[in-house]
Amino acid sequence: MLFSSISFLFFFLPCLLLCYYLVPSKIKNYILLLFSLLFYFFGEKKYLLLLLAVCLTNYLFGRLLEKTNKKIVLILGLASNIGILFYYKYTNFFLETAFSLFNQKAPFLNIVLPLGISFFTFQNISYLCDVYKKEVPSQKNFLTYCMYITLFPQLVAGPIVRYKDIEKELKQRKENYTLFSEGVTRLIIGLAKKVILADGMYTFSINLLASQNSFLTSWLIAIGFMLQIYYDFSGYSDMAIGLGKMFGFHFKENFDYPFTATSITDFWRKWHISLSSFFKDYVYIPLGGNRTTKWKNIRNIFIVWFLTGFWHGASWNFILWGIYFFILLIIEKFFLKKYVKQGFFSHLYTLFFVCISFVLFSFTDLFELGNFIKGMFTIKNGICNSDAIYYLKNNGILLLLAIIGCSPILKQTIKKIQKGKERKWFQGSSIFVLLTLFIISVAKIISSSFQPFIYFRF
Amino acid sequence: MKEKTISILFVLLLFIFLIASLVVKDKEISYAERRNLTTIEDVFNSPLDNLEHYLSDQLPFRNILLNLYSWVDRIVLGNKENNNIYIKNDVLIEKNVPYNEKSVEEFSKKINYIVANHLKNNRVFYGIIPDKSYFLEEKGYQKINFSQLFSKIEKEITIPSINFLPLLNLEDYYKTDIHLKQNAYFKIMNELAKKYAFSLQEIEWKEQTYNPFYGATYAKGAFFSRPEELVYYKNEDTESSIAKHLEYGEKNVYDEEKLGSMDSYSVFLSGPSAWIELENQHTNIEKELILFRDSFGSSLAPLLLPYYKKITLIDLRYISLEKVEEYLSFETQDVLFLYSTLLINESNLLKVKMK
Repeated sequence: MLFSSISFLFFFLPCLLLCYYLVPSKIKNYILLLFSLLFYFFGEKKYLLLLLAVCLTNYLFGRLLEKTNKKIVLILGLASNIGILFYYKYTNFFLETAFSLFNQKAPFLNIVLPLGISFFTFQNISYLCDVYKKEVPSQKNFLTYCMYITLFPQLVAGPIVRYKDIEKELKQRKENYTLFSEGVTRLIIGLAKKVILADGMYTFSINLLASQNSFLTSWLIAIGFMLQIYYDFSGYSDMAIGLGKMFGFHFKENFDYPFTATSITDFWRKWHISLSSFFKDYVYIPLGGNRTTKWKNIRNIFIVWFLTGFWHGASWNFILWGIYFFILLIIEKFFLKKYVKQGFFSHLYTLFFVCISFVLFSFTDLFELGNFIKGMFTIKNGICNSDAIYYLKNNGILLLLAIIGCSPILKQTIKKIQKGKERKWFQGSSIFVLLTLFIISVAKIISSSFQPFIYFRF
Repeated sequence: MKEKTISILFVLLLFIFLIASLVVKDKEISYAERRNLTTIEDVFNSPLDNLEHYLSDQLPFRNILLNLYSWVDRIVLGNKENNNIYIKNDVLIEKNVPYNEKSVEEFSKKINYIVANHLKNNRVFYGIIPDKSYFLEEKGYQKINFSQLFSKIEKEITIPSINFLPLLNLEDYYKTDIHLKQNAYFKIMNELAKKYAFSLQEIEWKEQTYNPFYGATYAKGAFFSRPEELVYYKNEDTESSIAKHLEYGEKNVYDEEKLGSMDSYSVFLSGPSAWIELENQHTNIEKELILFRDSFGSSLAPLLLPYYKKITLIDLRYISLEKVEEYLSFETQDVLFLYSTLLINESNLLKVKMK
């Protein structure tokens, strides 16, 4: 089930709200668990039992870790999680790679990727590590642990919510109008980001991709992909955070205007924060981080970025994507540190390399990828053509809205107004704007066969 | 206060849709979208596959929401097209790009092949109906290079043409459909009469109307302009003629049962059909016409009935030339190839194997 679907918005959500807010506090968690399992069942009925088995295994490992605090238990726990992820996500990729070394065709195993496996695996890993490090006690109630893992807002596409961040709220949380309305606001903004901006940018890029090639066309496609991926994923994160708030949870922010970054390092502090902080805390620092020799530090950075790329998909382009960022970060760390601080050129430099990174991200076929990147740096097919102008004009307003939405301008303006004299007028009109945005988003869902969220692949 | 208002209004909205979905009776067909809607039976057959389609198809206020987004897309976001459909002054125009030169060449070769192998003793012409995008201005829209297409065809096809272009304009087409209105063909009758050497008669045509007509592009573009009026013309010839279809058997020339169906345009000769013989019982004229055509020919043929004893309509998209050779003996009939630029740009659909 997608958040941007009619079944979710007008059936699942109102039924859950009704049940959740009618029952006494003691039962609320069970209601959330039941609906979360239903949510998963409608998306992936085949793997519901697998999901429950994974919950049970990690619950038991957690309990055992707390009692024994033995490294071997942690290793076994981590191995079980990584083993499952590896089997479902990477088996075919490794078979294909191994067979291709001998010029043989690999047998294709029909392994369907369980929905959200990359996310719930990392949540389980973070839980086991934190229990081992005694940063958090293990969860004694199996159903509560199940609810943490299966909690529908973050189950299938993140953000990666750590147990220690919501441990208290799993036991006791306060729902109120302020939190609920903040949740509604985030949900509507996220929905609009996904269905209007992300899907609009997707159509823009795909139409251009099918048209005649030129230098400008290639760059417009690259920008379109960059914006689509941003709005798709940040839109989903907004909805997840918003839905969490509607039920009394506070999930951490996952995006912080990443396209305003002034360096690649800065970009990764603002993009998919829950993933980069996961790799930092559970891979980079345990490996020694930067408190080691220069070469070991480079090795650690390489491992983190290789894994980051590979986590996004079992395909060479994602590995390339990770290595691309590794190279950029190393260059920045050892050579460019002094130069990339603030200012227009630092910003331009970051956007340029980030834009190319999303081309690597978007093309799984390496041959197509190579051709496309060539097109971005050659004027062999002309600088511009009528198709590029046509699509640019036709999508100009959407593109402008997408660019404005990437910057904090809107947020800052709203804050200013809220502090100013027009506060009352603004409050009334913001409710109207928000609900109109919701209705328009629903209309968009109805009017198009919507695109599935990109991050469901991972 | 603001928090309370947002929360209450949002939840209220969710419940309005939920309750309305449960209360409002399901619809089976959407005439506006020209398709069958997913019903509860489909959900019972395959719940997980069909549930989302069902809920979306049966959502209350569906058409209002579709209208709303098409408005936002066009007016607010300034998008000229939707699903390859343009809207200009309330007229929905299908995009016909890119220009497929190979297809145009192939089309010409196929026509030449039929002429060279079967039509040595016939009076043969070809006519091209431009699709609506021909009337869009060059700037701001994507359209094929029509002058290139027409000059290529003129160069390649060996038989003479009947030039309809100066006679037609955008108002001659339905606003929500790709086809010409039937009365537009009256304008080209004079040209046809000259070429096929028949004299036009003073015929009293009775105008028949059907409203609301939702054309083929009405739903595809999701622009949801107003439905329009479909007009067709009857006289003694059309009333006394029989349409013999290869697929459906004998039918009336105007299949009025089709009015109000998902495709009301099928009132003309019952819609897509591989082979139709129109036999005029009302005339003493002995002339026959073979009309190689796409769907544009369906509304022209009834108007030609007063001048022919028999009109054979052949749609090579649905029947191969080899089959046509089995059924038809080419003698001295008049022959007209009447095709739209939509088909010419996609001529691989024509089942003509050149030996």
